[in-house]
Amino acid sequence: MPAYKAPLRDIQFVRNEVLNYPAHYSTIPEGQDATPDMVDAILQEGAKFCEQVLSPINQSGDKEGCQLGDHGVTTPSGFKDAYQTYVAGGWPSLSSHSTYGGQGLPSSLGIVISELMGGANWSWSMYPGLSHGAMNTLEAHGSDEQKATYLTKLISGEWTGTMCLTEPHCGTDLGLLKTKATPQTDGSYRINGTKIFISAGEHDMAENIVHIVLARLPNAPEGTKGISLFIVPRHLPNNLFEPNGVSCGALEHKMGIHGNATCVMNFDDATGFLIGSENKGLNCMFTFMNVARIGTGIQGLAHGEIAYQGAVRYAKDRLQMRALSGAKYPDKAADPIIVHPDIRRMLLTIKSLTEGSRALLYYAAQIADLLHSDDEEVREQADLQLSFLTPIVKAFITETGFESANLGLQCYGGHGYISEWGMEQNVRDARIAMLYEGTTGIQALDLLGRKVLMTQGQTMRTFTKVIHKFCQAEQNNPALQAFIPALTDLNKKWGDLTMAVGMKAMKNPEEVGAAAVDYLMYSGYACLAYFWAQMAGVAQQALNDGSTEVDFYQSKIATAVFYYQRILPRAAMHKACLESGCSNLLDLPESYLAEF
Amino acid sequence: MIEYKAPLSDMRFIMYDVLQIDQQWQQWQALAELDSDTADAILTEGAKLAAQVITPLNRSGDETGCEWVNGNVTTPKRYAEGYQQYIQGGWSSLGGNPEFGGMGMPKALAAQFDEMICSASLAFSLYPCLTAGACLAIDAHADDSIKATFLPNMYAGIWSGTMCLTEPHAGSDLGIIRTKAIPNADSNDIYRISGTKIFITGGEHDLTENIIHLVLAKLPNAAAGAKGISMFLVPKYWLNEDGSNGEANGVSCGAIEHKMGINGSATCVMNFDDAKGYLIGEAGKGLNAMFTMMNYERLLVGIQGLGCAEMSYQTALSYAKTRLQGQDRDGNLANLLNHGDVRRMLLNSKVMNEAGRAFSTFVAHQLDRVKYSDNTTDKATASQLVAFLTPIAKAFLTDIGFENCVLGQQVLGGHGYVREWGQEQLVRDARIAQIYEGTNGIQALDLVGRKLLADKGAVLTVLTNHMRDSIDPKDSFAHILTTKIEQLEQLSQWLIQSAQIQPELINSCSVEYLNCVAYVIYAWLWHRMDKTATALLAQGNEEKNFLQAKQHSATYYFKHILPRFDSSALIVMNGSEAYFTFNEGQF
Repeated sequence: MPAYKAPLRDIQFVRNEVLNYPAHYSTIPEGQDATPDMVDAILQEGAKFCEQVLSPINQSGDKEGCQLGDHGVTTPSGFKDAYQTYVAGGWPSLSSHSTYGGQGLPSSLGIVISELMGGANWSWSMYPGLSHGAMNTLEAHGSDEQKATYLTKLISGEWTGTMCLTEPHCGTDLGLLKTKATPQTDGSYRINGTKIFISAGEHDMAENIVHIVLARLPNAPEGTKGISLFIVPRHLPNNLFEPNGVSCGALEHKMGIHGNATCVMNFDDATGFLIGSENKGLNCMFTFMNVARIGTGIQGLAHGEIAYQGAVRYAKDRLQMRALSGAKYPDKAADPIIVHPDIRRMLLTIKSLTEGSRALLYYAAQIADLLHSDDEEVREQADLQLSFLTPIVKAFITETGFESANLGLQCYGGHGYISEWGMEQNVRDARIAMLYEGTTGIQALDLLGRKVLMTQGQTMRTFTKVIHKFCQAEQNNPALQAFIPALTDLNKKWGDLTMAVGMKAMKNPEEVGAAAVDYLMYSGYACLAYFWAQMAGVAQQALNDGSTEVDFYQSKIATAVFYYQRILPRAAMHKACLESGCSNLLDLPESYLAEF
Repeated sequence: MIEYKAPLSDMRFIMYDVLQIDQQWQQWQALAELDSDTADAILTEGAKLAAQVITPLNRSGDETGCEWVNGNVTTPKRYAEGYQQYIQGGWSSLGGNPEFGGMGMPKALAAQFDEMICSASLAFSLYPCLTAGACLAIDAHADDSIKATFLPNMYAGIWSGTMCLTEPHAGSDLGIIRTKAIPNADSNDIYRISGTKIFITGGEHDLTENIIHLVLAKLPNAAAGAKGISMFLVPKYWLNEDGSNGEANGVSCGAIEHKMGINGSATCVMNFDDAKGYLIGEAGKGLNAMFTMMNYERLLVGIQGLGCAEMSYQTALSYAKTRLQGQDRDGNLANLLNHGDVRRMLLNSKVMNEAGRAFSTFVAHQLDRVKYSDNTTDKATASQLVAFLTPIAKAFLTDIGFENCVLGQQVLGGHGYVREWGQEQLVRDARIAQIYEGTNGIQALDLVGRKLLADKGAVLTVLTNHMRDSIDPKDSFAHILTTKIEQLEQLSQWLIQSAQIQPELINSCSVEYLNCVAYVIYAWLWHRMDKTATALLAQGNEEKNFLQAKQHSATYYFKHILPRFDSSALIVMNGSEAYFTFNEGQF
């Protein structure tokens, strides 16, 4: 595995220069303490922790994996110590509410730390990552007593959390779930059932684990309307040495993320406590789903970054063949492979997708900060825009992150396929991100069906309006002539395309499912086109202002050109596919999909 | 894991109905006695072996992997029994030269068997596959006494073979290899080989009595670069006068690699320490000797991508039919096939696999034309097509094969990521095929640099004319296909002309250009399959379901896949400028 180097300069470029985070922080309550100096200091420290503590145990964690023994699950060597360092450093509480012991900094700052931890060691970062899901649930829907008992411990990092949704027969369709909750006279519940694919369901890193479990009450309505949400701790808070009917039945053998324990969890008369109202469990989950999905989008970004760092190092180092136009390094046995255009194609594809995704992700994180605004109008607008962006962030960034991971491996040739260099682990780890937290297909349905069409395009316009304004403002900017006409056209086509799909969908609802993934990918490429134009503009301005970081800024402009010329044509392909409609997918009887 | 079912009806449809290969066989002297019944019998037996003997080895082989102890390599449990059944069935001699004990079956037929074995277990298939490759090289370049000594036992599978090319510092660029061969003082035709080779598939294992290595090395005072490379045959055990295994030669396995996939296949570091070997072919012509069998090998690697994708599709389809999740139009609990997006994934796989099968069969048949035809024009045309199509077959079939394995995994959701269903193993196994036998980037460079530009597009014209000749103007896709062929020709002309001024363009556009050609070829093949299905239906053929599915699949291809051509073509036309504005510091 290439030693991870936190890409702080790129992060600062996107946050400070492109998205103007310092100004943004001055307008939100959580941002008052997040001065530029403070933020820099935090990122420096975070980078150090990730580079020095987490990165070195990434490859060994993959090799060792987790073990299930008589005393529960053991995590790979070094994982527990790293977690203690993480807790001692105060990292779990960074962006949590100060009422329960948090540092009260903006959630967008926590997202940067998540990128760094994820890049250094995704499997490890899932343990604290899952705690965030549990914290968000409790913060939004827990009673004061529940918050005092559980949230404080999660925020301090003494305990970790999980989300227990999936069961053997239901993943995407949670309406089918069977886990039961039986009310007890003392107001608690007995939970019985089996959950699968529970990340961090059991481990040896913390003294207690707080499971957030979806289950059904007796006589609950069928389907998703009969699901309630419960806290089920591994140990009840008043007795941390007694088991509470929660056990890990098995660990999954997976393609990757071996350092993370993916557990089958058995709840056997476990004591649990209702969160929020009865039968509103799924609604409760949805309130913070947007933020959780941004969290998974980070994974695509993290693996793209690793792919780039590893590939570019190797490409400069590995000597193989001469450049087609003649030797570039005649004193060496052969030229470094970075001279070959096809290697550049791979490197620049990774670079443009990764850096573009980072801009999109930090833009969405900025909008997410506004969900806590005091101004209701701001909150509403932010919610609309974020609900549109999150499925794109989750699905597009994890799809392109996986593509990047594969290209990173490919740059190494045969050496990429063997474990030594870590590039194959990067591919295996990246693959899960398109599956969990709602598959790409589910994200796409959410985007096109729920977010765009059900609001008659209202959510979408909150973002296309931003692009439109940008194009108008920059149309005479000589530095952006390579981008603005194309972007203007793309933005218009995006709207037209949406209208056209909407019209078709009114006649036949199947059109939505048939168009969804192509629509989502088109949207992702359009988003990145906007951010690359913006980044090119900022870079040119910096050069005009006499910046001495000439390579850095010119590289941004050249990457923008590459993106427009060599990546963006993909959007037209997705457009053509989705315009072809659903009949070519659905007219075939099932029997035509023959099993030979 | 589900039971593998070889796609026999599809194979028959492609070979006999669409490409009508059996009729050609009978016109060739060497194959005059091969009819579709005989071929069918072979395929049916092969399907049985793949499903019943090889498939069960796949997952356990992945879990156990190979073990290296003191230079000896143990293959996974039951591999040895599977291998015995494989060779006792005569499968290792299927395409071999009959003069030395081979069965002499055409590649178009063998390719179907190759696909089945790759679907069943890519890792297992590599042992016999490497032997077959080594046999091709020996048959083409060695003198008769070497052939007579080695080929019969290799065809019988009693001995296996390897190809030793890569060294730690030399993979794509073999010109810089360091392994040395020194003429033996005592004997004119024996050389002493010393050096280290890496990534040697099947370099050491416990399946056969001897292992015959074909090793690239440099003689003293050899020319620098690729022209100084010679090929040597280096057996693990030197043979006694009577042909039996004698003393151990100086060949040892230093380590095996830990890999992403194909864990049942031993990938070895091989040390040659003053090992005895024979020169095969002429001195300094080692790379050329390798290239003669390269066309076969590269097609086979392409078929590996197809084989994995087929298995992934079968699993995904079976899962989609039984997994109940979400509702149908009437609000009932429904299987995954009711969801448009799941169909997108399955149909992408289906139409690309079936076109891929037609394509690999077509290319295999061109190899047969080169080998068996007695008409010199026919031979020459086929030879041009082989040269042009081989890099496409290797790169495109493996890129799409990997893409389809990922789609097949995606259909299963989280269950695709865990070991149980085998989908994640297919992704890990299929990934290697994009890399070895020349990375797909190298294939694309070969296509554009060597095949397209070398004769200024003449071979492309052979291909496009061949495609045009079989367009039926009445077919609904004739018009769009004709247009795409023209666009491909224009794109190629543009590339040929622009590359003269700008050599960097070649390797900048090559991957996207290769995709453009492939999408047009697949469109042509879908057109042919569509018109064949239409004709058979008109004749009252009873396989209605099968044939109508072909028509629908053709529609799906033209509407949902072919738009990729436009996007790739646009990227080609955008040129190479976007690459070279970067200096190295800007990466």
